[in-house]
Amino acid sequence: MSIRSADSVLSLETIDKTYDGASKPALDRVSFSVAPGEFFSILGPSGSGKTTILRIIAGFETPDRGRVVMGGTMVNDTPPFRRDVRTVFQSYALFPHLTVRDNVAYPLRMQGEAKGPRRAKAEAALALVEMSPYAERLPHQLSGGQRQRVALARAVVSRPKILLLDEPLGALDLRLRQQMQHTLVQLQKELGIAFVYVTHDQGEALSMSNRVAVMRDGRIAQLATPREIYFEPRSEFVSQFVGRSNLVPIRFEPAGSDFVAVIEGTRLPAITSDRPGPARMALRFESVRISPRNGVAGPSSALPGIVEDILFLGTNCEVAVRCGELSLIGSIPAERDTTLAVGQPVHVDFDLTSTQVFRD
Amino acid sequence: MGVPTVYRQSLARRIVSSVNPVALPVYAWLALIVLLPNALLIGASILKTANGFMVFEPSLVNYVRLWKSAGFWTLLGRTLWLSFLACALGALIAYPLAFYVGRVVRRHKGLLVVLIILPLWISLLMRVFAWRMILGQSGILNTFLVSSGLLDAPSAAFLYTPTSVLLVFAYIAIPFVFIAVVGAFEKIPQALLEASEDSGATALQTFRHVIWPLTRRSLAIGFALAFLVTVGDYVTPSMIGGIDGTTIGMVIASQFGMSNNWPYGSALAVVLILSVAVILGIVFALCPSRGILLGDEGVKTARAPEGRTERLGRLLGGCGFTATVLFLYAPLAIIILFSFGSSTLQAFPIPSLTLRWYGELAGNAALIAAAQRSLLVALLVVLVSSVIGTAFALILHYGRVAGSRACEIALALPLATPGIVLGVVMVLGTELFSIPSGIAKTVIGQSSFVMPVTLMLVLARLRRLDPSLMEASQDLGATRLQSFLHVLLPMIRGAIIGGALLGLTLSADEVMVTLFLTGSSPTLPIWVFNQMRFGFTPSVNAVFTLLAAVCLLAVLLSSWIAGRRKAAV
Repeated sequence: MSIRSADSVLSLETIDKTYDGASKPALDRVSFSVAPGEFFSILGPSGSGKTTILRIIAGFETPDRGRVVMGGTMVNDTPPFRRDVRTVFQSYALFPHLTVRDNVAYPLRMQGEAKGPRRAKAEAALALVEMSPYAERLPHQLSGGQRQRVALARAVVSRPKILLLDEPLGALDLRLRQQMQHTLVQLQKELGIAFVYVTHDQGEALSMSNRVAVMRDGRIAQLATPREIYFEPRSEFVSQFVGRSNLVPIRFEPAGSDFVAVIEGTRLPAITSDRPGPARMALRFESVRISPRNGVAGPSSALPGIVEDILFLGTNCEVAVRCGELSLIGSIPAERDTTLAVGQPVHVDFDLTSTQVFRD
Repeated sequence: MGVPTVYRQSLARRIVSSVNPVALPVYAWLALIVLLPNALLIGASILKTANGFMVFEPSLVNYVRLWKSAGFWTLLGRTLWLSFLACALGALIAYPLAFYVGRVVRRHKGLLVVLIILPLWISLLMRVFAWRMILGQSGILNTFLVSSGLLDAPSAAFLYTPTSVLLVFAYIAIPFVFIAVVGAFEKIPQALLEASEDSGATALQTFRHVIWPLTRRSLAIGFALAFLVTVGDYVTPSMIGGIDGTTIGMVIASQFGMSNNWPYGSALAVVLILSVAVILGIVFALCPSRGILLGDEGVKTARAPEGRTERLGRLLGGCGFTATVLFLYAPLAIIILFSFGSSTLQAFPIPSLTLRWYGELAGNAALIAAAQRSLLVALLVVLVSSVIGTAFALILHYGRVAGSRACEIALALPLATPGIVLGVVMVLGTELFSIPSGIAKTVIGQSSFVMPVTLMLVLARLRRLDPSLMEASQDLGATRLQSFLHVLLPMIRGAIIGGALLGLTLSADEVMVTLFLTGSSPTLPIWVFNQMRFGFTPSVNAVFTLLAAVCLLAVLLSSWIAGRRKAAV
C-alpha cells in the first residue's frame, strides 16, 4: 500500500531537525505521508525522535530542512493555532481552572463560536467518550482514565483532519489501557479523522494501526503494515523492538551449490543463503517448540537442551532452555498440568516459516 | 437533678479530652500573643479617656465621633486610596516583570528573582530616607534640574506631597507583588500553553483564558501583602508626606503618643482594619482561583522557536527588567555613595571620598549602645522564634491537633496585620501584664510576627517530607528521639536556619511595631529614626550602609544554605 502525496492529508518531506546545543540530529531525513482517516503509528524507544515529529506536525517546533505539507499547502511557518491539527498531550494538559465542559468547548470558544452550538458540540463530544455525567466537574476531581477521555473529547470536538496522540495511554494501568485502545479505534472509525499515534509500546502500535513507522535514532527504520513489521522485520533492531524474539547466532556452511544455516552443530535445511559466513537469525518465542526428550530421538533439525527456567504468564509459559552455548526462550501454551520441569532434558526445534536472517 | 449535672460533667470532660494536651502551648501562645491583644484593641475602642487615663465606661462615643468627623473620612479615604493606587502601580510593573522572569528568561533565573526581592531585606528607613535625599529641596533631583537649566530655582514640589508618598509606596510594593506572582508563572505547565495554542488560541487569547486565571489569585496575594505593608506604614508619610500626605497611621500613632488618647486611637485602628478587610475581600473576590494543578500536567519543556516577535518580546522584557532594577537600586546606591563622600551636603558631585563618617560612628556612644541593644533584641527574638516556631510546627504537623490549619492561620495573623495596628495591639497586650518598656517588651512584640515566619517555613518543609522516612527510621530500630535527631532535624535544619536569618533581618530593620515598645532604650533603627527627625548627619548614611551590608550577608548566607541543601537532596 503506497500513498501518493496528493491523496494524503499530511506529508513530511525529508525533515531534518537538530536541537540547539545537541550534537546528534533529533530527526534525520524523515519522510512519510498519512492518508485521510488512516491510523498511523510512530513506534520507537525514548529519544528516537518520535515526539519531535509530533511537535513539528503540531507546529511547536520548526524543521531545519524539509517540508510539512497539509492539504496540499506547505505549513512550515504556520503557527500552531492556525493548523487544522489537534493534540492529545501525554499529560492530558487539561486546564485546571475550567470545568470538563469548558475544557472541551475551549477550541470552539477560541474560534469565536456562539455559546449555544458550542455547548451542544461539547456535549456531543463528551457523549462520544462517555463522559457526559461529568461535565460540571473540574479536572482534579476526575481519575486518570477520565481525564484521558476529556482530553480526547477536547481534541476531537472541532473535528480536525488530523489528531496527534503523544503516548496518551502511558499513564494508565493495564486494564484501562486495553479499554482505551478499543475506544480509540472505534472513535477513529466513527470520526474518520487521521490519527498520528506516538508510542513506545509495540502492542499498542500493532493492534490499532493501519501502518507503523518504527523510529531509531531520528530515522525511520521501517515503515509498513503491522503484519509486515511483525513477520518481516527489515533489521535486527526492528525485530528486537517488535515482538519478543531470540536473536540466535548462526553460520552458513556449504551444502551442495548452496549454503545452509547451522546452529550449534545442527543443520537447518530450511534456511539457505547464497554465501557462507556468520549471521544472526531472529526466532520469535512462539516459533520455538519444546518437547520432552524422554529417551526418544527428536527430529534431525532439533537441538538437545535442558530446561533452565519456567515463567508462568497465564495464557502461556515462557521456558528458557540451554542448548550448549545457547540460551533460547520458547513460549508454549499453558496447561493445567505442565509436562516440563526445571532441569528436564528436552528437544528444541523451530517453526521457520517467518524467520528473518540478518547479516552485517 | 442528678442527670443534668452528670451530663454537664461529661460535657466538660469531653471538651477537655478533645483538647490534645500536646497542643496546649500552641493554644496558649494563640490566646496570649494573638487573640487577647486584639480583643483588647476592640475593648479599648469602646472606652473613654479622662485626664489622660482610660475610664471603664463602655460606649460607642469614639465611633460616633469618627462617623461625624469629615476630616476622618478624608484621611481614611486618602490613606486607602494612596495605598491602593501605589500597589496597583506596583502590580502593573511587577506582574509583567514576573512573567518575563518566570516564563521568558532561561538563564540565571534565580539571580534575577533575588535581584528584585532583595530590597525587601533592606531597611525600610533606608529606602524612604534615600527617596528624601532624591526628592528634597536640596536633593539630587533638584540639583540636577537646576544645574541642567531645566529649573531656575530648586522646587519644593517633589517632597512633602501625596505624590512622593505614592512613589515610595509603589517602590515598596514592587518586590512584594513580584515575589508572590513569579512562582505562579513558573508553575504553569508548558503543556497547558501548548494545548491552548493547539486549540486555536492566539497569544492574547491564551493569556486571557489560561495564564490570567491561573495567576490572578497570586497577584491578589501579592497586592494584599503590599497593601497591608503600605497602609500600616506611618513612617514613610511622616518623613516625606508633608501635611497633604498625612495618613491615618500617623494619627493612630499620635493617639498612642503625644495625644495620649488610647481609646480613640484604638477605634481608628479598628476602623482601618475593617476597611482594609473589605478592600482586600473585594480584591480577592475579583481574582478567584479555581481548580488545582495536579503536578502531572506535564513537564516544562523549553520552547525552541525563536521568531522575530519572540526576540522583540525578550528585548522589551530585558529593557523593562533593567529599568526596574535601576529604579529599585539607584536610591540605595546613592546612600552608599554618600556615606563615603566628604561633604556634609547631599549633592553631586562628591568632592572626595572619605571614611570619616564611619569613624564618627565608632565614637558615638549612644549609637553603639543602640546597636548592641539591637543585636541583643534580634538574638533573643530569633532564639524565641526558632525554638517555639519549630516546636509549634512539629506539634501542628505530627500532633493530630484539631483545627491545625485554622491554628496556623491564626498564629500568622500578626504577619497580616498592618504595622501601625500591630504596634498598638502589642502596646495594649504588654501593658495589661505591666511589662516594662524596653528589651522585654520589644522582644515580645517582634516575636509575635517573627515566630510565624519560622513556623510557616518549617511546616512547609515538614509537609514536603516523605512521611515514610520517620516510619522507616523507627522500623530500623531508632527511638522517637533518635529518629528526630538523626532523620527529622537534619532535614528541617535548613528551614530553621533560613527562618532564623530572615528573623534576624526582620528584627534588625523593624520600625513600625518597635517604635511603640522600646521606650527610652531604642534599637538601632529607632535611634536612626530619631536622629533623622531631629536633623541630619551624614553618619546616618554610614549606619544604613553597614546595616544593609549585614542584612545582605544574612540573605546570602541563608540562600547559600538553602542551595546547598537542595544540592544535597
